[in-house]
Amino acid sequence: MTTNPTKPVKKLSMQQRYSALTRDIDWTPSYVTEDQLYPHTTYEGIKIHDWSKWDDPFRLTVDAYYRYQAEKDKRLYAVLDGFAQGQGHLTLSDPAYLNAMKIFLGGVTPLEYQANRHFSYLARHFNGPGPRFAAQCQSVDELRHAQTEIHTLSNYNKYYSGMHNFAKMHDRVWYLSVPKSYFDDALSAGPFEFLIAIGFSFEYLLTNLLFVPFMSGASFNGDLPTMTFGFSAQSDESRHMTLGLEAIKFLLEQDEANVPIVQEWVDKWFWRGYRVTAIIAMMLDYMLPRPVMSWKESFELYFEQQMLNGLFPDLAYYGIRPPKGVEQAIWEKEHLSHLVYHTFYQFSHAANLTTSIPTKEHQAWLASAYPDAFEQFYKPKWDKLEKMAAEGNRYFYPGLPQLCQVCQVPMLFTEHGDPTKLCQRHSEFKGEHFNFCSDHCKEIFDREPEKYVQAWLPVHQIYLGNCGGPTIPDVLAWYGYAEGDSGEMLGNVDHNNWKKWHAQVDDSVGGRESVEVGGAAEAGKGA
Amino acid sequence: MQYELKTQIIEPLRPTFDHLVARYGNKPATRYQEGTIDLQPTENFHYRPTYSPEYELYDPNYSAFKLTDPYSFLDPRQYYYTPYVTNRAQMHEAFGKTLDYVADHNLFGRTPEAWKRLIGEIVIPLRHYEAGCQMLFSGAARFAWGATIAQCCTFEGFDRIGNAQLISRVGITLGEQTAGVLNAAKQSWMEAPAWQPLRRYIEEALVEPDWAVGVVAVDLVDKLLDTLIYRHLDEEAIVGGAGAYSLLAQHVGTWYAEHRKWLDTLYKAWLADPELAGANAAAFSAAVSAWLPKAADAVGALAQHADTIVDTGAAAGLEARVAQVKAEYEALGLTVS
Repeated sequence: MTTNPTKPVKKLSMQQRYSALTRDIDWTPSYVTEDQLYPHTTYEGIKIHDWSKWDDPFRLTVDAYYRYQAEKDKRLYAVLDGFAQGQGHLTLSDPAYLNAMKIFLGGVTPLEYQANRHFSYLARHFNGPGPRFAAQCQSVDELRHAQTEIHTLSNYNKYYSGMHNFAKMHDRVWYLSVPKSYFDDALSAGPFEFLIAIGFSFEYLLTNLLFVPFMSGASFNGDLPTMTFGFSAQSDESRHMTLGLEAIKFLLEQDEANVPIVQEWVDKWFWRGYRVTAIIAMMLDYMLPRPVMSWKESFELYFEQQMLNGLFPDLAYYGIRPPKGVEQAIWEKEHLSHLVYHTFYQFSHAANLTTSIPTKEHQAWLASAYPDAFEQFYKPKWDKLEKMAAEGNRYFYPGLPQLCQVCQVPMLFTEHGDPTKLCQRHSEFKGEHFNFCSDHCKEIFDREPEKYVQAWLPVHQIYLGNCGGPTIPDVLAWYGYAEGDSGEMLGNVDHNNWKKWHAQVDDSVGGRESVEVGGAAEAGKGA
Repeated sequence: MQYELKTQIIEPLRPTFDHLVARYGNKPATRYQEGTIDLQPTENFHYRPTYSPEYELYDPNYSAFKLTDPYSFLDPRQYYYTPYVTNRAQMHEAFGKTLDYVADHNLFGRTPEAWKRLIGEIVIPLRHYEAGCQMLFSGAARFAWGATIAQCCTFEGFDRIGNAQLISRVGITLGEQTAGVLNAAKQSWMEAPAWQPLRRYIEEALVEPDWAVGVVAVDLVDKLLDTLIYRHLDEEAIVGGAGAYSLLAQHVGTWYAEHRKWLDTLYKAWLADPELAGANAAAFSAAVSAWLPKAADAVGALAQHADTIVDTGAAAGLEARVAQVKAEYEALGLTVS
């Protein structure tokens, strides 16, 4: 046997190397106490005994992160530039499609920005280097998403209404307080609740219902930039989903006492997120000129099959049951989108988007997608509104809706099991009266009334005179709306421009019969 | 001459978003502007944060340093996500190539023993300091007021964890692909007398409640470390036959020079604010006065220790630099006691 003259070197394995780069850089403080350094990780009652048990399956290092992301962005921006240069917006299915993107830019993009800020908070405040680094990667990813979404939609903003003032709208417009209050709720909670609320509930449990429908809608409706953005964000999102799943398992494995706390958060954040999806259900069923799938189908596939049948049996091992409210959500899948669009139809004079009676073809699609509900309960409503519109009396609701104190959606939901009976629940707190759309929103309030009495309820604020003035036009001016942002879709600015531009472009072979410039001008007069 | 391609022109209805037209006029905006300006919510917050109920979710009062208009500060590098990651991808790629070169040519094997010791004892433990800076800037990224400052802090936080990894990789190479050097460096960071002032400094900076004071505090150390590690010792290493040190240090040294751009611009914005310059100057003077002596001690202890390994006159050089740093702040209009 021969011996090697040089001492054999014990080289680091890949895993040890990763650990050296991401974990071993941490240290236990001694000049300040651990409680001083991490002051926010005890007050929620969550117990963590060993932060090193956090497992990150991606093994991403900073240099690899930069390399992948820079490469992806190069491709994405090439698509954006090409689309803008070639007037790609004219290849959309219909300008009405952009109503979905108005919701997205005003309702979702600002949340991405806030996620950037608050995942930075986790990257500061978690005691363990594993979750800190994971949160830090997500923080910069979220900034990427906010910015690439703005840059993607920026070109549409140049030609279409409803997007020009998205950040202010997010902070002020009545229905956008639904997503804003949802996220403010998470941001104002402690770090662990935020992790479950956004990391798990938003990014894992509901992402295929909340985020993905916009990207799928884009691909079905000729919106190449948004679709490309969607694909470009996919690998980021899969990291975020993994983080969300790791987060809940980590908390559950650390201490049995964490289980009931996490269960309460799962209950709360399922329902909070689910109520935000009311807007998405409407978008999926009513606002895509070329529909992708119905809300019902989407809910069955992405929630009932993937989560209830896929995820929750795994979580049962830890003592976690499916969230409260699931039964009601399953029942509501037949009704949700119809109720919400019916409300938006009547309030779109105050929204940054336009609505219209669904066309005959669209109603036929709705009837086939909802054989047990559409013709029986909702077609009669559309018939009535259609008749009014035909008589020159397009209906807009003259007052302001009552809002749920928790989810802030107008009180349009019905009793669980009865689509004809509106649901109203109430609680008293410190001598004041509060209204809720459902048992589950009431439960959320009753658990933390001190929090939800603070809610900035848009309708309430209008009555208090905090929104630009006492009349609807005052409020709309305060929202920063411009002509064409709101109201009936047919004959609207976007609709008319679309016809005019297509006439101009399609005229290159000597004029096509289907395009009538005069028609556009006439519709314009009627508006 | 260039050829002329005919394209369909449709006149846009508006050049960009309203808030940018209001600020910069009726013209197209840059991607930096569209992706940054006015992005942070400023009103109608729904709930008070449970971790600091005395403030709003976003609140200028998280710091004594304030800007009347937070967007009077703009990142001079105009970094939004894409140019940021593109630039840093290049930086890390260049560093990786240098490190491969150093390893392939066994340059550490040809480095004088004393210099190898110096790298292990003076440079490698800085990975922990950089990791602390990551936490500090991530905290600032959350609580800063205004998206331009917060964005710079987000990127700076990511830069710092990147620096910690670069330095760690040097340690792994110096340790011939083992954890030996890293483990020794961590022990130094935790226990060696020369490192305790700096470790105490970053731990105390991390618990400083005003995010801007924390930023000012670590920048004082950064200025001194830059001089010691990435200028003085870099130069001396070349003279002393430790070219590998210089080859690797240049990457972080270049980064130090680049990150000064946004910090110096922010300092100027604080001190030029039309309404709050005076209050900012007072807070700034107090922060520099409180932290500069501690920074001088912390980095001074490292310089003295470096001189015991290879006597390059580092401690004396650093003393001169401390005086210069004080003068730089005074030149900005601060009173440094």
